[in-house]
Amino acid sequence: MAKSSKENGPRAPAAGGSLSGTRESLAQGPDAATTDELSSLGSDSEANGFAERRIDKFGFIVGSQGAEGALEEVPLEVLRQRESKWLDMLNNWDKWMAKKHKKIRLRCQKGIPPSLRGRAWQYLSGGKVKLQQNPGKFDELDMSPGDPKWLDVIERDLHRQFPFHEMFVSRGGHGQQDLFRVLKAYTLYRPEEGYCQAQAPIAAVLLMHMPAEQAFWCLVQVCEKYLPGYYSEKLEAIQLDGEILFSLLQKVSPVAHKHLSRQKIDPLLYMTEWFMCAFARTLPWSSVLRVWDMFFCEGVKIIFRVGLVLLKHALGSPEKLKACQGQYETIEQLRSLSPKIMQEAFLVQEVIELPVTERQIEREHLIQLRRWQETRGELECRSPPRMHGAKAILDAEPGPRPTLQPSPSIRLPPDAALLSSKAKPPKQVQKEQRRTKASGQLDKSLGPNQATVMTASGDACPPQDLSPKDSVPQDSAPKDLTYHHSQESLTSQESEDTYL
Amino acid sequence: MGNGKDEDYNFVFKVVLIGESGVGKTNLLSRFTRNEFSHDSRTTIGVEFSTRTVMLGTAAVKAQIWDTAGLERYRAITSAYYRGAVGALLVFDLTKHQTYAVVERWLKELYDHAEATIVVMLVGNKSDLSQAREVPTEEACMFAENNGLLFLETSALDSTNVELAFQTVLKEIFAKVSKQRQNSTLANAITLGSAEAGQDSGPGEKRACCINL
Repeated sequence: MAKSSKENGPRAPAAGGSLSGTRESLAQGPDAATTDELSSLGSDSEANGFAERRIDKFGFIVGSQGAEGALEEVPLEVLRQRESKWLDMLNNWDKWMAKKHKKIRLRCQKGIPPSLRGRAWQYLSGGKVKLQQNPGKFDELDMSPGDPKWLDVIERDLHRQFPFHEMFVSRGGHGQQDLFRVLKAYTLYRPEEGYCQAQAPIAAVLLMHMPAEQAFWCLVQVCEKYLPGYYSEKLEAIQLDGEILFSLLQKVSPVAHKHLSRQKIDPLLYMTEWFMCAFARTLPWSSVLRVWDMFFCEGVKIIFRVGLVLLKHALGSPEKLKACQGQYETIEQLRSLSPKIMQEAFLVQEVIELPVTERQIEREHLIQLRRWQETRGELECRSPPRMHGAKAILDAEPGPRPTLQPSPSIRLPPDAALLSSKAKPPKQVQKEQRRTKASGQLDKSLGPNQATVMTASGDACPPQDLSPKDSVPQDSAPKDLTYHHSQESLTSQESEDTYL
Repeated sequence: MGNGKDEDYNFVFKVVLIGESGVGKTNLLSRFTRNEFSHDSRTTIGVEFSTRTVMLGTAAVKAQIWDTAGLERYRAITSAYYRGAVGALLVFDLTKHQTYAVVERWLKELYDHAEATIVVMLVGNKSDLSQAREVPTEEACMFAENNGLLFLETSALDSTNVELAFQTVLKEIFAKVSKQRQNSTLANAITLGSAEAGQDSGPGEKRACCINL
């Protein structure tokens, strides 16, 4: 019935509904769903024809999209050095951003060490500040009932984001649950915006690196600071950016530009998914992460540059255009990009070297906006101006605000103890383990959690030593020490991301 | 997937899939063009398409099937999507009445953007879920009749009627195109040597005739 295809992962499954809780079996009644869920827990592999499911270092099932072959590995020594540097930066973030921002940018370009990526993204995007400014807000949104109209659509999308990533493969699993929580929270946070389907892959990538609450605030930043208007009604911002992209292409690759012009190919036909998902659905995973590292630091110009690089290398020479006789063939060429041009090292280098600046983008933006107003009238949804990266976001923050300092996350306000905890510690640990397992750093996962749990139990904890381990919520039960393994992290002078 | 060689096909027909999010457009596409189905196919963002060449009589017809997001706000970016389409499958999920209730809105959207002569088939998908049906066949069939639409119930999951749905639409388009060409040949015969190409702007019999308007 279903053949497997290389492109988007093994599409096999579903011989007799072995994947848990498909909508079809849910329709048959709750019992059917339960049985399916139970039966699928072990049987995905068999149904998919794998003897055992092998996961790559990013968490993707081997053989699926994102799962790559041999990758360039950063030498361990270098990785450790980078980690120390990043730890230093994160612990002195405000100073670094104020005085040594260029260095931060350089380090983002080199790639953030996997063990610190989630945290770094929170700092870069301002998600961390947002969280600090809005304590309890996410919980409030999380506990509120959502608008059924949005919930319906969101639910339909939960199993359609990175279904071959171990975090999201199980229907009703923690990954999908958290995805639901984050997306629902956003529709409550910004009811006038509601839900746009492209937010799901963005949220999913964030969730692969941080817990739901943190992912929520990073999503807020993406939607409001980095890519304002992308997910709004009318999708005007993405249309404008399509025109900007095309216009910038003229100088970057006149050959590609001419071809697309002649073929009358609307930018929306190729750049929509690229931009709305920040290339999370287009590039090999290691490249996605490198692009996002730079994107969180430098803003949308990175997205433009990636698009331009891809267009230039896919359509920028007569040889390549030989295969693109018509509109269809051209778009097809842009959808099956050569792995060479998407490969991490190549792509990152090209992006760094491409001389496309924020100023050029803004200038082009004005031109296209004017054109729009002339031909289509006023924009229906005026979005706020976008922030071109971490520094811009930070500078725009109304001051004064408390300096971003690591601080113990387990504050126990008098009334918090009895509030229902959204996430129980063991679950958090599991999640942490799964996440860090996915990034190949199994050993470190236990450290920070123990640290914070120990903190919560009342041990003295100098603020500098143990920074918020974001995954453990404030009222997490200090009594749950069952997973404690090591004493070392408590006395370590390192910050929260101590690893043993 | 076509590489533009003339001998591969005589015609290219662009057919668009439209309808609410989650009704099964992407799987209808994959079932028809690649004989694949996935419970977890990705949410469509932007535009997807696929092709398949079928024989209609002696003519090789390349069906270019386009697929896009069904969510309401994506309708703001669909004019490029509809351009040149000669056929459309308006899909609803027969287990979700809400997706059928908005069919008229989709029809309006379609006629606002596409040619009035576009061939349209109403498709009630997910017929494999017989117990969960929320839209009676007769009701949808009557609506289709009253609005000049073809109608079929399909299941991308078990393949029921998928082939038939696309083939029917393509045949209809082909019939229309053939008629048009007949008429335009006559017209050309009368207006001796006029350089004006007709609606079916094929430059000549030898080259691929792309029905893109």
